[in-house]
Amino acid sequence: MIEVDSLAAVRAGNRILEAVTLAVAEGTVTTLVGPSGGGKSTLLRCLNGLETFAAGQVMIAGHTLIAGDHPPRALERVRRDVGMVFQGFNLFPHLSAIDNVTLAPRIVHGMPPSEARSRGLELLDRVGLSRFADARPATLSGGQQQRVAIARSLAMEPRVMLFDEPTSALDPQMSAEVLDVIVELARGGQTMVVVTHDHGFARRAATQVVELVAGRVHRAGPPAEILTAGGR
Amino acid sequence: MTGGRQGGRCGGRWAVAACWLGLIAAAAAAADLDDIRARGELVWGADQEGGGPHVYVDPENPTRLAGFEVDLAAMLATELGVTARFQQGQWDRLPLLLGRAADCVINGIESTPERARDWRCSRPYFAYALQLVARRDSPLDSPEALAKEGPRGPWRVGVLTGSAAETEMRRRTDFAVEVVGYDGTVDCLEQLRGRVLDAALMDDCIASFNADRFGELRGIGRPFAGGTYTILTAPDTPRLSAAIDEALGRLITDGRLKALYDRWDLAGRQQMLLLRDAAEVPPARRGSLADLIRGALPLLLRSAGMTIFLSVASFPLAILIGLAVAVGRLHGPAWLRPFLAGYVEILRGTPLMLQLYALFFLLPKVGLALPALVAAILGLAMNYSAYESEIYRAGLKAVPAGQFEAALALGMTKWQSLRHVLVPQAVRIVMPPVTSDFIALFKDTSVCSAITVIELTKRYSVLALSTGRIAELAIVTALLYLAMSWPLSLLSRWFERRLERRSERSQA
Repeated sequence: MIEVDSLAAVRAGNRILEAVTLAVAEGTVTTLVGPSGGGKSTLLRCLNGLETFAAGQVMIAGHTLIAGDHPPRALERVRRDVGMVFQGFNLFPHLSAIDNVTLAPRIVHGMPPSEARSRGLELLDRVGLSRFADARPATLSGGQQQRVAIARSLAMEPRVMLFDEPTSALDPQMSAEVLDVIVELARGGQTMVVVTHDHGFARRAATQVVELVAGRVHRAGPPAEILTAGGR
Repeated sequence: MTGGRQGGRCGGRWAVAACWLGLIAAAAAAADLDDIRARGELVWGADQEGGGPHVYVDPENPTRLAGFEVDLAAMLATELGVTARFQQGQWDRLPLLLGRAADCVINGIESTPERARDWRCSRPYFAYALQLVARRDSPLDSPEALAKEGPRGPWRVGVLTGSAAETEMRRRTDFAVEVVGYDGTVDCLEQLRGRVLDAALMDDCIASFNADRFGELRGIGRPFAGGTYTILTAPDTPRLSAAIDEALGRLITDGRLKALYDRWDLAGRQQMLLLRDAAEVPPARRGSLADLIRGALPLLLRSAGMTIFLSVASFPLAILIGLAVAVGRLHGPAWLRPFLAGYVEILRGTPLMLQLYALFFLLPKVGLALPALVAAILGLAMNYSAYESEIYRAGLKAVPAGQFEAALALGMTKWQSLRHVLVPQAVRIVMPPVTSDFIALFKDTSVCSAITVIELTKRYSVLALSTGRIAELAIVTALLYLAMSWPLSLLSRWFERRLERRSERSQA
């Protein structure tokens, strides 16, 4: 589903990623772990073209991204098949929860509003928030906002989901709400890549753990091999 | 910040009213003959923009003033034993200079009962009649033909604002005309040549003076509805006005005035006989304040309607253009950005008045004659679009970068992201400064009087000067402005509070 080959990225003269190669099989969960500044988020953002890279190649959900600037049309096609959930939620504050979920299907796929709404309500139900369909993001807790953001990404029926530290901005209880949703998705066979510091989550859900240190793949393998007992 | 600025504006209007009152008090201390002799200088007010043959800038030497009234002022000053000094003022407001900046006004001021009531009027020094002027190819063949509508509806007739020609045209309810007021004769004739007007009515001496420069125009029929010019002085300067009358009498009887008019090709025997025998104009009586307000209020209200119309027609346009420019500068193609930056700098860096002039007086020269109202709305919209674009640019930048990324990550195009995610948020962020700008535009509509649109300030100015009730009408006009702008201020503050509450909530 995803093949990253010899990826290198440079920002302001610093090498952020170097010779990163990894593969993610369909229906599996890969977690990216490692120290801050190791390049986890940059790698994730290269996967849907939010950032460009200097060398190498990314094949994802049947699309290929090459080094340098990406043509806008190609990016739009990639992003329709690859969803992303951000650390800061990034819900659209001027829209209600349900409108956040239905906006992209309506304007990108031209889905009729009534169909988008009924599907949106199903998704909100799946993340346990159908009661809050008409609430504005500012009135929701962080955990609730992040769950709406997950529903918003799922509404595009992505083949791959990318999570960029989805629980770092949340307290433990809210983190648990969000992680439950992600684990549930993983059980349903959603292919996903998750950047996280939460080794507990990695042990619980990951098929593969990739540790990035100083822009390189330090270690990669099943969680039991990579995450030593007693780690965070 | 917004609240403070609005407070300043409201306060400003009251300050204006207070200033008017102060001016009237100051007029009580006008310089009379002894002060002028002691000073050695007679200061005379006129408008060099009004044009020839009265007072105009010598085209051969733009630092010099020419005109028969320039010569007359010099002769009068010599008679009084002093020298003459020119003071510039806007023609329809020249009497307001008296007692402050000028000792007398010599500028084709027609004798009228209202003027005789409010100022001291000298004996006549010139006799004029009104001449209708039109293009040579015009179907108009006599002033009487104005009674029937022309091929394009009512005839559009230009006049000098506040002149006898304007009074005459507005008085003639039997004419099917739309009267358009100008601040200068040349502007008016240019617009006649450019086919914005069908005809113009002006003093015969002005028509013949401009005949060479505007060869495609001609006088229509014989001059009619004449009168005389008078020299105005302040009410409390009896000795100065008596001295001016005596001096004029000497100039008329010993033939020096005729010699002057001969030089300017203005004299005829008829003219001089008229001046010698002219009777005094009886002063008008001042009506009661209640009558005045009853008469003026409908006119002021109608002009307030024009002020509102100009504002609500131009501001949405300014917002649309401004938003497009802001989006173009931030997200448009690289080659377009310098042009948009130039657009903003030019419109912000030049006065609104100049832009309106360009739209109204210069465009007809390249074959694009806009009606005054269209030029006014377009000018206001373009000028304000520059300010709005800067506000929206700031608003778009204030939307967190994560919003754009989230929209793009959902597969939206750049324009879809802008349209559905960034712009709606930016619009909410900039609501308070935009509302505040609307109040500023509302106030700036008064500049449109420069291109013949009569809105509230212009209506006030015309009414105040024709009735002499400067302070009373200023207060009524200020109240009308406040009644219109205060609700807008409240709206702006409401937006601001709503926004603050929302940001507090999202931080909580």
